[in-house]
Amino acid sequence: MRIPIVKHLIAGVKRALGLHIPHRSLVILPDDIFLVSFPKSGNTWTRFLLANLRFPGEPVNWANIDRLVPDPMGTTKRDFDRMPRPRIIKSHECFDPRYPRVVYIVRDPRDVVVSQYHYHRKLKKIEDDSPIEKFVTRFLAGETCPHGSWGQNIATWLYTSEGNARFLLLRYEDLLADTARELAKVVTFLQLSASPEQIAQAVERSSADRMRKLEKEQPDRNTLMKGSRKDLSFVRAAGAGGWRSDLPAPQAARIEAAWGHLMQHLGYELSSQSPAEVREYGSLRDLSGVPR
Amino acid sequence: MDRCEISAAFRDEGCILDAGFGRPQIMIGQLKYAVKYALGLDLAGNNYTVYPDDTFLVSYPKSGNTWVRFLLANLIHPNETVGFANINRLLPAPGVLSKRFLKKLPRPRILKSHEPFDVRFQKVIYLVRDPRDVAVSEYHFDLKKRYIAADMTLEQFIKPFLAGTTSSYGSWWEHAASWIGPRYGNPSFLLARYEDLLADPVGETAKIAQFLGIKADEERLKTAVARSSADTMRKLEQQQADKWTGTKNTVKEIPFVRAAKSGGWKESLPRHSVEEIEVAWFPLMNFLGYELQARQLDSKAMPVWSKTGQPS
Repeated sequence: MRIPIVKHLIAGVKRALGLHIPHRSLVILPDDIFLVSFPKSGNTWTRFLLANLRFPGEPVNWANIDRLVPDPMGTTKRDFDRMPRPRIIKSHECFDPRYPRVVYIVRDPRDVVVSQYHYHRKLKKIEDDSPIEKFVTRFLAGETCPHGSWGQNIATWLYTSEGNARFLLLRYEDLLADTARELAKVVTFLQLSASPEQIAQAVERSSADRMRKLEKEQPDRNTLMKGSRKDLSFVRAAGAGGWRSDLPAPQAARIEAAWGHLMQHLGYELSSQSPAEVREYGSLRDLSGVPR
Repeated sequence: MDRCEISAAFRDEGCILDAGFGRPQIMIGQLKYAVKYALGLDLAGNNYTVYPDDTFLVSYPKSGNTWVRFLLANLIHPNETVGFANINRLLPAPGVLSKRFLKKLPRPRILKSHEPFDVRFQKVIYLVRDPRDVAVSEYHFDLKKRYIAADMTLEQFIKPFLAGTTSSYGSWWEHAASWIGPRYGNPSFLLARYEDLLADPVGETAKIAQFLGIKADEERLKTAVARSSADTMRKLEQQQADKWTGTKNTVKEIPFVRAAKSGGWKESLPRHSVEEIEVAWFPLMNFLGYELQARQLDSKAMPVWSKTGQPS
């Protein structure tokens, strides 16, 4: 009984000094910018892009990224208080009305599941021979991370915020296809100023090759990969459509059956169903069982 | 008031301390907080442990949440006299209770919440109310709480209400959409309309009881409904207003239990304001069966909802 009290007292003092991780109690400022996505959707890459754009004097790497674009789940409150404003903050949370401005990155869930499967191998959460079917089952149920399922996470943001001037939706695939163009969209949305040269520099400094090289030099400098397997890289394929070769067709079909309506809305072509088979986006008004 | 300032003040009351770290009087506050935290006596805010067998009674503010808390508390504790003085204990609101208290509650717990979508909440009763009535009710409540200037008119209130800046929980649309969008149709999600509860309190309470797995016969349901009537609650408010977080230090001339009915907006909400609300939120109002009054809105002009519209 004594030890928990001591532990709690230490935690309490840490809290008083601002050395605790704020989690959900982060005090949000009116000019904060949140970079939100479901995990494994290009969030880290976008963090590098924005940090390199915002802090050109300090090339971004795995050791400073948590300070430049921090995560409320991994950086102390004191570090948050010391950030220059407007702050750019990373998040994987479902809809939160307190976020004043949101850049939401979405990625094809069929690629997300493959990426998360390999990330969990790296984190030693699953074995190398762990069957992908089993992982897809957990992925669909939202059990592979604490931020809901892919469908839930995206749905909470789309339903509440799409069309809102405070919300910018970016597709990872578009970001890959023309990084400079998409980054320019973010710059406009955030009312920042950046010349084409500055954007090009940020893109170059955040390339997959550079991120891989830095990862080799700093394999333990970031919470995302601390203590993880070093034979697997955090920056993996950095591509789109890998699921076509890596995900067995029946598994892709399960994902499409669950979230086809959201995927179609986001422009992700379905492999297993003709559009007519997919639940219509239609309106919720038409569903049966709705109160009068 | 700014949305974020409100957030800081209400959502996690511990955060008030965060405002000005460094000043001596704040240091004492920090220290007090450290001790409270160590003893588990700090307010839980939304930083508390959620268990998978918890059920949450969730709604946007001013949507009948307190009434349903009384209904459920009376149903579950037939031998207690439910009132404002003990409602925080009988149907707890985590935001104003200590973590220790929440931890000691018998499980499965039923908790009250005004939070927008929270992935940790597995089993949810979502209570929704016509936003035109919510607007009127929240206006009076905000006057009572002195959240808005005493001379602000209802008409002036509508703009910040639509923008979601009058509440720390987002706008009515954001709140309802965040829950209904991803969860509607899920067996562990029960959508209840305040209006239906008013029209048939016994029948609707029975549905909620069934969802909670509470076996209650007609007699017990009727007793709970009678003990939670607006008249009873008004009487209790007069006796216990200072013993409840919701009414403590508020303008006593404005009651907490106000009209307790539906459609009051037809008399008190200016036509122009009705139109503003309907233009902004008609797709979701249509979905919930709230008839539009101001003008016929073209259903082809459906924005967000039609494009993304089904639960996942």
